[in-house]
Amino acid sequence: MFRTILLLILLVALSYGFWLSPDFKEISAGVAIFLFGMFSLEEGFKSFSGGTLERVLQKSTDKTYKSIGFGILSTTIMQSSSLVSVLTISFLGAGLIGLGQGIGIIFGANIGTTTGAWLVAGLGLKVNIASYAMPMLVFGVILIFQKQKSIKGIGYILAGLGFLFLGIAYMKSGFEAFKASIDLASFAVVGLKGLFIFTGIGIFATVVMQSSHATLVLIITALSSGQISYENALALAIGANIGTTIAAIIGAMGSNIVGKQLAGAHLIFNGITGLIAISSISYLMMGVDYISIYLGIADDDYSLKLALFHTIFNLIGVIVMIPFISKMVVFLEYILKDKVTSNRGFDSAKYLNDSVLELSSTAISSILKETKHLYDNVFEIIAHGINTKRQNIISDKSIDETIKDKYSKEKVDIDEFYNHKIKGIYGEIIEFSTKAQSTTISNEDIERLYSLKLACRGMVEAVKDTKHLQKNLIKYSNSTNRHIQKEYNLIRQGIAELLRSIYIISRTKEEDVVLLLLSKSKVNMEKYDILSNGTLDRLIRADSISDEMATSLMNDSSYAYDISKNLISTAEVIFGDVENLGMAMSKEDIDLILDKKDN
Amino acid sequence: MGIKKFIKRAKEILGLEDEKKESKKKSLKRLLKKLIKRKREICTMLKDKKSKELQEELDIVSLQIKKGKKILHELYKSN
Repeated sequence: MFRTILLLILLVALSYGFWLSPDFKEISAGVAIFLFGMFSLEEGFKSFSGGTLERVLQKSTDKTYKSIGFGILSTTIMQSSSLVSVLTISFLGAGLIGLGQGIGIIFGANIGTTTGAWLVAGLGLKVNIASYAMPMLVFGVILIFQKQKSIKGIGYILAGLGFLFLGIAYMKSGFEAFKASIDLASFAVVGLKGLFIFTGIGIFATVVMQSSHATLVLIITALSSGQISYENALALAIGANIGTTIAAIIGAMGSNIVGKQLAGAHLIFNGITGLIAISSISYLMMGVDYISIYLGIADDDYSLKLALFHTIFNLIGVIVMIPFISKMVVFLEYILKDKVTSNRGFDSAKYLNDSVLELSSTAISSILKETKHLYDNVFEIIAHGINTKRQNIISDKSIDETIKDKYSKEKVDIDEFYNHKIKGIYGEIIEFSTKAQSTTISNEDIERLYSLKLACRGMVEAVKDTKHLQKNLIKYSNSTNRHIQKEYNLIRQGIAELLRSIYIISRTKEEDVVLLLLSKSKVNMEKYDILSNGTLDRLIRADSISDEMATSLMNDSSYAYDISKNLISTAEVIFGDVENLGMAMSKEDIDLILDKKDN
Repeated sequence: MGIKKFIKRAKEILGLEDEKKESKKKSLKRLLKKLIKRKREICTMLKDKKSKELQEELDIVSLQIKKGKKILHELYKSN
């Protein structure tokens, strides 16, 4: 409601302003075109986020200095700290980077965003950039209409840059014309009062435009045409820096907890930096004058001086705050916690939140993590279902000992386990996958999502098969008939061995170990199938088991076969890269190995 | 230059297409290297002592090496 009222007031105020002054209309159009350019630029860079950007981000954020460097570089290239923030929140949400690394990126982004001021002050105002904008827009729009994602992306970037340039040109000419009718410089306020008033205006303008970059460009163009004084421009720049955190907080309101924590870090950083800048503004101005001489910046080139001021005070902020990153992480994680709702033993999704939907790769990464979480629960249920202890399976104990050490004398209530630990997560994964699929996603990602969904379905089926298998498992593994007892214990042993293999696969980083264990498991699954290896026929012919036992064994070995098949397929999808490499063992491969063995 | 050729050139310059193929090649090469090393180890062990399990592992490793080489060859051929 409040937002709607604010929007209405803004629209009315703007309309009144347009009616009053055509120059104001031109300046506003410049800001609007500039902001549209930023959106287009963001859209363009997002289309390249299908791998390269993520790989660079993951590799370049393992140390604080690297994450700051990444923040500087990415914001300098993309000219949008908000896009960098969105990417960072998305990566945090997917658990791919930690809060400390995220804070480092935000610090870097604050420095990176200062390059925009240099570009506008150094190039934008001295060259007729509108003439560059036109071809960029034409080429950009042509490329946007292409089908291929990467070409579309280039189109968005070109069009985005074109709009940015055009926006700056409009703002520039608007202020030039505005000067002839009203001299805003006459409203300049000097001293401490001016500092606070203009800092406030800077905050307000940035909150309204949702972009400190746009505010800064506006300040620089106004300053270059002499519409505001240098001192007031500095205060506006400080305000823009603080205002951008308010925009980030508004944005983080709908975000998950990591988004809120990052917005909190942003607020602390920019707030403290702003305070430092306000309290030492005269020293900073002296510093700017001093460095300007060394950089060859003319004494009256206030636009470049403003860019220098903007860089210096952000740099100081980063230098001051670096030692406190780990303390900030502890503080933010303490005050901003996820609301834990009491689910009375019902397990729910840990990694699925809307912030990761920004990028297809983070969405898939989160779904993969959640699928692994689901597998952990499936592992527990199946281990108990075959009457073994989970701890024994993941230990160094021999499989014989693992089988002997039973979990319970009673039947385990698999339905209850399923309702508490599987159903909820499974449902959330399916729902989230559908959401992820409705965002911009490549065919390759759709295939990956599909295989993850299949893996989840396979796990659920394995749990259901365990429920059926369990009925006779407890009865016959304690039977006085040693033949049937042996067969049922062999079933237990086969599944326990498979669970152990998958556990090892989930822990190792050695691709050959993963491949061999999966291949062996597949071979064993076929080898130990009593229907195909003739065991059942042999037992019936020798009259070792009753008809009832034979029927049960036949059905249950089929359940065991299906459980193994589903678990191996799941492991191939979630733990091994063998599927992507095309190295997964086919039915023909397994037959070839088994035939060799028979010969 | 046709639009398709232009797109292909742009992709080549930006390294958008080849990156995945290259990383697949790299992973396969690394995996093959490990498998060949393992095959040698199994062969040495089999010389000392015959074992059904080891023989089965050797069969699997040999099959995977053959398979991996074939995939790698196809990847190089498609360049």
